[in-house]
Amino acid sequence: MPRRLLGLLLVLPALTVILFLFVLPLTLSVVGAFETEAGYGLGNFTKSFALYSSDILFTVVIVSLSTCLIGLFSIAIGGYLTLGENPRAVAILRWLYRWPLFIPFIVVGQVLRTFLAKNGLMNNILVGAGLITPLQAVSFLDWRGIVIAFVWKQTPFVTLLLAGAMASVDRGTIEAARNLGASRLRILIEILVPQVATTLMVGLVLSFVTMMSVLSVPLMINAQSPTMLTADIAFRINAYGDYGVANALGLISLAATACVAWFYLRQSMRERG
Amino acid sequence: MRKLLSATLVLGLASTPVTAAELTVITAGDQNMVDYINEYLGPLFEEQNPGHTVRAVGTGPGDAGSQKILERFEAQKQAGSTVWDTDVAVVHEKFAGPMVSGGYLEAYRDTISTGKLVTRTNADMALGASVKGYVMPMFNSQTALAYNPALLPNPPKSYEELAAWVKENPKQFGYNGIKGGASGVSFVMGWIYAFGDGDASKLMNGPFEEAETKKWDAAFDSLKAFTQNATLTPGNAGTLDLLSRGEIAIGPVWVDMFYSWQANGQLPPEFKLLLPAPGMPGQPMHYVIPAKAPNKELAEKFVELATSPKVQAEGIVKRFNWYPGIDAQHVQAELDAETWNKLFTDVTPEDLASYGKPFPIAPYNNAILEAYEAKAAN
Repeated sequence: MPRRLLGLLLVLPALTVILFLFVLPLTLSVVGAFETEAGYGLGNFTKSFALYSSDILFTVVIVSLSTCLIGLFSIAIGGYLTLGENPRAVAILRWLYRWPLFIPFIVVGQVLRTFLAKNGLMNNILVGAGLITPLQAVSFLDWRGIVIAFVWKQTPFVTLLLAGAMASVDRGTIEAARNLGASRLRILIEILVPQVATTLMVGLVLSFVTMMSVLSVPLMINAQSPTMLTADIAFRINAYGDYGVANALGLISLAATACVAWFYLRQSMRERG
Repeated sequence: MRKLLSATLVLGLASTPVTAAELTVITAGDQNMVDYINEYLGPLFEEQNPGHTVRAVGTGPGDAGSQKILERFEAQKQAGSTVWDTDVAVVHEKFAGPMVSGGYLEAYRDTISTGKLVTRTNADMALGASVKGYVMPMFNSQTALAYNPALLPNPPKSYEELAAWVKENPKQFGYNGIKGGASGVSFVMGWIYAFGDGDASKLMNGPFEEAETKKWDAAFDSLKAFTQNATLTPGNAGTLDLLSRGEIAIGPVWVDMFYSWQANGQLPPEFKLLLPAPGMPGQPMHYVIPAKAPNKELAEKFVELATSPKVQAEGIVKRFNWYPGIDAQHVQAELDAETWNKLFTDVTPEDLASYGKPFPIAPYNNAILEAYEAKAAN
């Protein structure tokens, strides 16, 4: 008995922290989403959909699109790191691709703001190279800017996980395929990726959830309509002090992330079982 | 001997002059508001009151900045704090009313000598709420359309002409929506004044009627179409920035920011302003003193200095290009004609009188913003 008590005592600090700093605020926010001036009800949700339905759709589409692109790029980079035959190119790529990992989102937003603007660095280079005329230059500071920022920042994270998993794949299967004359692309798609699919999915799910919660990038690049839910939540609170609708919007984005989290949980359950 | 010692100690403590205080001034608004206090008003006050220091804190642009101040007061009141952390706050007009009705403010206007230099009604009523006695206007500001004469030699003179012009010249007009500062908000309010089916003067003077809020549908439909042909900018400064780079030809801006940017060389000197018919809103920023300010007397002294004709002339008009907060005739006497006239180069006093409008009263204000999100932005 004292032993069990001791165990309980040991876990208590961690449990308290989780209860008070995580479970309690989450519960309050969920309850707050249903609190309206006229008592409990769905008022905040009808208002959220009336005001922000296009932003909700926009958020899900943007984050899903970014997730797909991140998947493609990280497979490409990871694949080259594993199958590349030019050791110098592999070394350079290995050294380069991790850089965005160490740059905070807000800095990414700021960098891309000046890079993607209508008269920004990118268009100036294109105009300077004679590829487009100044009149053809367009600003990328809309949904495209957000996607570029997300992909740029999150690809290294997924690649890091993926390249590790690919490196630990049994080389024998790759060698066997190569002996039978498979091209490198075919080895990547048919041999490597299926073996690291779990890792890839976990990385993508974590990226999805991270991107759903980023406020700085949409604020810096495109805070106008349509914009991402995080910018709307900040606006509801900052401009109106309206925590009800902000909580409701939070719950809606939670529902979106819950869908992908379900995949993640199912996967980790299967691994454990 | 010991008695003597303690006696001198007590005497010593009692005769120490009042300790130096740190006056905390929090201000909503763009960076220029913080600059004004840090660069001009604070040093002036410290010079006149040796030993005391002024600390300025900015809470951010637009309504969001004032909302933060309001929540700060609310929290300290609910916590039952006897001494609050703010001596003087500068807030937008819309938030003065809720602060007075919440009982967060000190009625100080009649106790300071400059209180009687203000007679304009917007120092008594703030968007439909009585704030008489609780606020002193720091300045009055106005929004207007800034344009680049090189790209646009004959600018549209009214909302109607602007709407037609934007249709033919897509993406040449830029504004910052309603989430990035008040110049965009002001443009939207002006749109409703111009195209709403209701009575614009009712929106400005009240009373609030739910039925009135149903009369804006057509105006928002046209605003939605208009916005699709407009460029959305990231903020008050963003509009000026895009103007200066030639990415847009015209857009709504705050008059004071426009002149300040021009004075700093961030905007070409040939850029101009115009106030379109039937008018765009402007607003004062107000000095308020919290009910439980730690250094109340010093705070009153600070506001007294800030609203004295000399400071209003030198700081508000000359350095920062705002329209004065106290009545103009007291300020004009302190300035040379040239400086005074510079304030009215593009937007004449007659324009101001006929096209300078107040913002709608608070409930309409919120209703318009929300309707914008539901109908024009969604």
